[in-house]
Amino acid sequence: MLKHKKYSFEGYLYILPWLLGFLLLQFVPLINSFWYSFTDFQLLGDAKFIGLQNYKKMFVSDPTFLKSLSVTFYYVLIAVPCKIAFALVIALILNQRIRGINFFRTLYYIPSILGGSVAISVLWKYLFMNQGIINNLLSVVGIPGQDWLGNPNLALGTISLVTVWQFGSSMLLFLAGLKQIPECLYEAARIDGAGKMKIFWKITLPELSPIVLFNLIMQMINAFQEFTPAFVITQGGPLKSTYLYGLMLYDQGFKFFKMGYSSALSWILFAIILFFTSLTFKSSQSWVHYGDTL
Amino acid sequence: MKKGLVVLFIVLLSIGMLFASGTKESAKEAGPITLRMSWWGGDSRHTPTLEAMDLYHQKNSNVKLEGEYGGWDGYYQKLVTQIAGGTSADIMQIDQPWLNELSSKGDVFATLDASQVDLTQFDADFLKNYCTYNGQLKGLPTGTNVNTFLVDTKLLSDSGIDPNTIWTWENIISEGKKVHQKNASNYFSSATPDIIRFWFEVYIAQLAGAVVDGNKKVAFTEEQGTAAFTYFKKWFDEGIVAPFSQTSLFYQKFQENPDWINGKMASAWDWVSSMGKDIGNKQNIETRQFPVMTGAKNSGVLMRPSQIFVINNTSANKAEAIKFMNYLFVDPEGIAVLGTARGIPSTVIGRKILAEKNFISEMTEKATNEGIAQAGLPQSNYQMNSEVMQTMQDVIDEFGFGKLTPSQASAKMIKNLNATLANL
Repeated sequence: MLKHKKYSFEGYLYILPWLLGFLLLQFVPLINSFWYSFTDFQLLGDAKFIGLQNYKKMFVSDPTFLKSLSVTFYYVLIAVPCKIAFALVIALILNQRIRGINFFRTLYYIPSILGGSVAISVLWKYLFMNQGIINNLLSVVGIPGQDWLGNPNLALGTISLVTVWQFGSSMLLFLAGLKQIPECLYEAARIDGAGKMKIFWKITLPELSPIVLFNLIMQMINAFQEFTPAFVITQGGPLKSTYLYGLMLYDQGFKFFKMGYSSALSWILFAIILFFTSLTFKSSQSWVHYGDTL
Repeated sequence: MKKGLVVLFIVLLSIGMLFASGTKESAKEAGPITLRMSWWGGDSRHTPTLEAMDLYHQKNSNVKLEGEYGGWDGYYQKLVTQIAGGTSADIMQIDQPWLNELSSKGDVFATLDASQVDLTQFDADFLKNYCTYNGQLKGLPTGTNVNTFLVDTKLLSDSGIDPNTIWTWENIISEGKKVHQKNASNYFSSATPDIIRFWFEVYIAQLAGAVVDGNKKVAFTEEQGTAAFTYFKKWFDEGIVAPFSQTSLFYQKFQENPDWINGKMASAWDWVSSMGKDIGNKQNIETRQFPVMTGAKNSGVLMRPSQIFVINNTSANKAEAIKFMNYLFVDPEGIAVLGTARGIPSTVIGRKILAEKNFISEMTEKATNEGIAQAGLPQSNYQMNSEVMQTMQDVIDEFGFGKLTPSQASAKMIKNLNATLANL
């Protein structure tokens, strides 16, 4: 018993550098932001306790809150399914035994290495601007160009493409999952006369469902917190059509210095993510199949 | 034993991480004075500023100067975060509206007086109007900055417009529309949504004196607002300005619009301190005066410091920071090295030295003199507040995208401004 305790103590010592970092740089700010959400803290000066006023303001007197929330939901609804579907399709293609496949696997992963950086967002801006490459290419084939980033109806979809384009990590997980599916299942299905589509729906997809779940949750969390493309490319415009929640949170905190209100907004976002993550987990009981239950 | 050593190493590593910054501070105190200075700008500002810092260090070897510089984007956010965290530089370059915004939240900047700086070098009204807070001098203006109206004389001529036209609100429409009529992809104005807001503020200033006055009140009536929006609707209807769907991508960066760069837009609202960067390699650009309506209450043309240098109130080396500021502002060597990196200097000696050395370009001098001659009343601190500006911008965006009629836009702007002002 004593020996067990000693090892536990040593374990904590081993993780001490990380633990200190976590406590000082994440846990303490987390608690602080919870406290600030009940204050009128404005970054400079003292924080005065104002009860639930920040939370009340969101729902009663701040129209940008609901606007931003709806934009964010649209973004999640567009970006997450598209990214997962796209990653799955590419993974299925790259799972074929064809010459030079490793080169293509690397090639398709490159966008994810580049990440959701400022540089990529700037690149996107120049691709999709009125005078950009996309419109120039379209004009070559006689299709009139669009205000991809200037039209309020198109802008959100256009910046969603940045996320969809960075499908590499989801694709790799699908690829790894595809490799794990026993070949005998496919053989049995083929012997029974199943076609390619039937095999996909009845074997591949159910076998991959744990990975779909993982990708769905991770991508959903990331999408709810998205910031860079909206900030760099469109600055939330036009007409706030790309005013994602992360951008509103930043504006309130660092543009208007309403750190108390911004903290309250971030806790609401946390609650929303928690709710949808829990819902996804709960629903997964009916659509995720693990190997032993197939 | 081996395990014990590993544990000891990890503990030491953790303690080292915790106290790393403390050790650095101690070393700083023991060594020579280190002054940190932060500013935003481009290479034309960074290079001479760093050179001036080097020269100062050569003369004062005990003072080590560290520059923290970059572009405009995110500078204010970083500055405020540093101030809140107690890590801001000893000397900071700030934009004029920030002086009040930040001073109102605490004693952030050191107070300056005539015993520290030769204030006779500066225009007393300029210091009083733009660099004081609650009657205390909080910073020094780097230069004089004014609004200017840039025109592309070639595009005007090519469009059949006299390039020497004296612009009025009426002929901006009657003449300006010829640019778009001549070539459907060209426009008279390069205004992006944020620049339309500036134009709107100029128009309202002339009609009503201000958008928001010093008493925290909306200063224009619904009728005046409607008149302004009705006028600017013609800008869109007559093709004076490109639709917002084409320009909103260049919000706060009109100079990055390829149509402006490639000479497809004939004019620009600008600040003299930024015009060099905004003009870039474009040829045939000249400065003109702004239109002013008959009986205008205020020209709406803004004049203010290019930037303000302030000293961090928590700096341990305030005296040395002031000494270095004196070097930049009144020492002939410092002035000569900085040149017009921050516009035409606001000190008498600065202007004299740069004029003698022929450092001030003809265009800068003309634009500055014209701007000073036309300058109106300073905007109230409330009008320059970030939230108030955003409130105006949101309504102008809706108006520009055709979601609001002029009367709806006027009513909405007044209503929203009142709501924002009530919460300030």
